[in-house]
Amino acid sequence: MTFKTLHQKCACLADKVKNCVRQPYCPKQIAPLSDSCRSGRIKICKVTGDRKLCARMASLGVYPGEEVELICPENGSQCLLKLQGATLSLDSNTTKNILVTKA
Amino acid sequence: MNQNIRMALVGNPNAGKTTLFNTLTGARQHVGNYPGITVDYKEGDFTHKNQGNIQEDNQRITLTDLPGTYSLTAYSVEEVVTREYLVNAKPQVVINIVDASNLERNLYLSTQFLELGCPLIIALNMVDVAKDRGIEIKVEKLAELLGVPVAPIIARSGQGASALIDQAIMLAEKPWQPRDISYGEDLDAAIMELITIISENNFLTHTYPARFTAIKYLEHDDQILQKGQEDDSATAARLEEKVTQVSDHLLKTMDAYPEAIIADHRYGFIKSILRQGVQTHTFDTDRLYTSDKIDKVLTNRLLGPAIMLLVLFGLYQFTFTASELPVAWLESLFGLIGDQAKSLLPDGPVKSMIVSGVINGMGGVLGFVPLIMFMFLGIAVLEDSGYLARVAFMMDRIFRIFGLHGSSVMPFIVSGGIAGGCAVPGVMATRTLRSPKERMATLLTVPFMNCGAKVPVIALLIGAFFSDHKAIYMFLFTMLSWMVALLAAKLLRTTVLRGPATPFVMELPPYRFPTLRGLAIHTWERTWQYIKKAGTVILGISILLWAMMTYPGLPAAKMAGFEQQRRAAISPFASEIVSESQSEKEEVSESARTLRRQLAAINDQESEQALRSSIAGRIGIALEPVSRLAGFDWRTNIALVGGLAAKEVIISTLGTAYSMGKVEADASDSLGQRLTRDPNWNKVVAVSALIFIMFYAPCFVTVVCIAREAGHWGWALFSISFNTTFAFLLAAAVYQIGRLLG
Repeated sequence: MTFKTLHQKCACLADKVKNCVRQPYCPKQIAPLSDSCRSGRIKICKVTGDRKLCARMASLGVYPGEEVELICPENGSQCLLKLQGATLSLDSNTTKNILVTKA
Repeated sequence: MNQNIRMALVGNPNAGKTTLFNTLTGARQHVGNYPGITVDYKEGDFTHKNQGNIQEDNQRITLTDLPGTYSLTAYSVEEVVTREYLVNAKPQVVINIVDASNLERNLYLSTQFLELGCPLIIALNMVDVAKDRGIEIKVEKLAELLGVPVAPIIARSGQGASALIDQAIMLAEKPWQPRDISYGEDLDAAIMELITIISENNFLTHTYPARFTAIKYLEHDDQILQKGQEDDSATAARLEEKVTQVSDHLLKTMDAYPEAIIADHRYGFIKSILRQGVQTHTFDTDRLYTSDKIDKVLTNRLLGPAIMLLVLFGLYQFTFTASELPVAWLESLFGLIGDQAKSLLPDGPVKSMIVSGVINGMGGVLGFVPLIMFMFLGIAVLEDSGYLARVAFMMDRIFRIFGLHGSSVMPFIVSGGIAGGCAVPGVMATRTLRSPKERMATLLTVPFMNCGAKVPVIALLIGAFFSDHKAIYMFLFTMLSWMVALLAAKLLRTTVLRGPATPFVMELPPYRFPTLRGLAIHTWERTWQYIKKAGTVILGISILLWAMMTYPGLPAAKMAGFEQQRRAAISPFASEIVSESQSEKEEVSESARTLRRQLAAINDQESEQALRSSIAGRIGIALEPVSRLAGFDWRTNIALVGGLAAKEVIISTLGTAYSMGKVEADASDSLGQRLTRDPNWNKVVAVSALIFIMFYAPCFVTVVCIAREAGHWGWALFSISFNTTFAFLLAAAVYQIGRLLG
């Protein structure tokens, strides 16, 4: 095995490890909150789904135009949002109905 | 003294209502740093020295602490309880606690109180926290723009509470006066039309202001819609028709439901007030506070669960290490009391009842008090610091697979998830669950955990039959209890408790340092509940079990027969040998030892016969044809029936049933050896018995708690029958398969 082949194999393995560990790139576009994969500031564009859910979210402060901080992105079940000084935990049924974009 | 004034405390969850309630009334209500602690309202009275007047005057006040809510629309039980209390009880003053560090969201609820028209005063709580976060609030300006008095307070220290009550008293005579908030041209026009219909027909006007009803119709409030149907179905139909037209129009033109537009305008109203110089930020509003930074680590997808396991293991270690000595002291104390009673009381049934029934029975339960107390202290620390809410957040993912909720995790742990808990506080801990079906599934499966009373039995049987791999078997049986509990929950949630999963939407409280006073109150309240409930019930059960295992006793003829045997055994020995064998000396001659052995064998036979003819013995024998399927003989049955009262009883009853006399839980070797020698016991029977003991009907105290928490004895009976059937089928399957495999 030449040094070049070894180097290529190692680089390939490193890429595979990186792809397993690192989170995918999130483009700046409107997408459900459940698809947001990185912490940081986001802006709520729309709350869809059941009308009760929209109203409930509004009473909690999650309504269109509001900027919030995504503290813990969803990893299968829950995500943590910080808004107006409070920390909210939302489950996937809720987050897939909240459309957000990068702030 | 003036006439009593009725005041109500309202606000968002975790805004500090119960803390202020305790400060004002001197009550000891439980305040946890966990949302949903208050789900019902509580009342307290106090006398306030009015310092606002020149002439000092004492004012009697009745204060009601209402559940925390985010709105007055009926989305949850708390919202319904709060709204119905306000409109039915019509308190003279409503104190709205608002978190100053989270003003905008908290004022959302305040706008709805303004619309309801109740005499409102805003208690601006946690002004110190807001100041630390660089938030400055101009109180006078806020009061002026909202049109209601505002009093800054710090509920934890009681600062400003007296001034708040001074101002609140002045509002007591004020009539209810609803305020109008504009919701835009479209909705305002629709509201006016709805108000006209409502006023013309006096529709629900005896309970709610006309505008409030109109808004709730637009918000599609289920409870008000139902009330409307019941009150006047014709008018309700007209209103619903009008609302449908408006909703359709808004959906077409604005792609939004009326409630979304209403919420948007409410926030607009709040923002317009706050931006008039009411709230200024010294720091950058985007900055993350310590609490958020801690959350980034503690709820991290990899680090979070690892830290959680460490914390829970730490809690387990702390509970058992700290309680080791006090538990030993209490055991010695009860031993001493038992010895004293033995020496002081004359022989007879009363002595037997007091020593075996009362002291041993009560001692078995009260001996656990230090352990329970330290466990509650540990849980109080986790709860008050805010970490418990994060544990629920992380566990929700796993529990959801089995139809449970993230909040189910604590009841499981408390019940013995980390072996050694107790199902009684575990069952009580299910109160934090909102969904009745998820709560019921949790309530019925937490008794599957290995509680502190089951652990000695498991240790005894593992020690006797699997002594080479004790630790592995102990670990396996703990894992088995988790697996069975979660699978049983899944079974319940897909059959009798079928229903949708509740969204796990929860406001996580910020991390706070628990106060010593708070920890002491929480720990003592819960421990006292345990002493009171478990103590009284166990006392009754101990006496009952003692009676069942003692009466009706041996027939006189049989007793005479045993007496004759004893005399026959003694007759070949000289009187010195007989008195030597009856002495308390350990070192005796060979002949005395032989006599002792012979007499002990006769006594054992007599005890066994007495037990066979007792009520408990007869029950054991009657159950034998069925229990044989799982490998249990009549003596094991007595112990298992005794375990229905309290699992602690199993070991001592097994000891008695196998004619061992008094057997201490710690001295398990002798009973273990006896069991290994018994022809009815082998490894397969041991596994079958272990499985049955782990999963059969919960103890009596737990059953009472299940009935109380479920609000129905039917669920308690279901728990007994479901668990026992399930455990028996499993145990019988293990025994039969084990026997076939040899």
